[in-house]
Amino acid sequence: MIKKLAFIVRSLPYKNEATRLALTHAIASQTVEIYLEDGDNVEPFLALVGDGVLCGLKNQSNKCYGITTMEQHITNALLLDLNVYYCKEDLERFGISEDQLVMDAESLGGDMKASIVPFSEIQAAMEAADHLQIF
Amino acid sequence: MKLAVFKSDYKTGGDIVDRLSAEKLGIIFVGNGIYHASVKDGGAADPIFQKNANFYVLAEDLEIRGFNASQVPANVKVVTYDDVVDLMFNDYEKIVWV
Repeated sequence: MIKKLAFIVRSLPYKNEATRLALTHAIASQTVEIYLEDGDNVEPFLALVGDGVLCGLKNQSNKCYGITTMEQHITNALLLDLNVYYCKEDLERFGISEDQLVMDAESLGGDMKASIVPFSEIQAAMEAADHLQIF
Repeated sequence: MKLAVFKSDYKTGGDIVDRLSAEKLGIIFVGNGIYHASVKDGGAADPIFQKNANFYVLAEDLEIRGFNASQVPANVKVVTYDDVVDLMFNDYEKIVWV
């Protein structure tokens, strides 16, 4: 049996731990299968909505603070084949284009691509999820 | 008075900033406050720029969030931590954090 997990990020990056927790939880959820029965598994996805879409901007520099960036976390999520969705309407609201966003983990050898989708698709995915977490 | 306001949030605190006035007012965007200077929500400039103030944004907080100096309006001066210390000691008498 597959349990679907939804991790929804609506917060700005940094300043508080909400977005970092969302991303680390989403990535870590992949490892839960070692505790499951044969045939059981989880299928997490990460959706960036509202102000949360700003977490996905490229070129985040950690040289000043020496912390991992949201860009690195999202890249790692994609590397681990997590489905990552950006809300189309919120990107348009901020005037952010696809080329400004982390859309893949090709630099690390990953194949998974992020998707830009209307909120209605994210809503449908949330409805289909067994567990919903909003950060 | 000469008042410097550190604005460290994006969507909150605008109400008090609206009411603040000073002979010399400086608004320094730090933390998530940098989004005032780096994004245009709905395509419009942020209403905070209607204030008669000197605007500054902290370079380090821009860069961690994926922005650079070329992406902020011309009326916003990009400053470093050292510059902020100089502003506090040399240009403003009172400092508040919003």
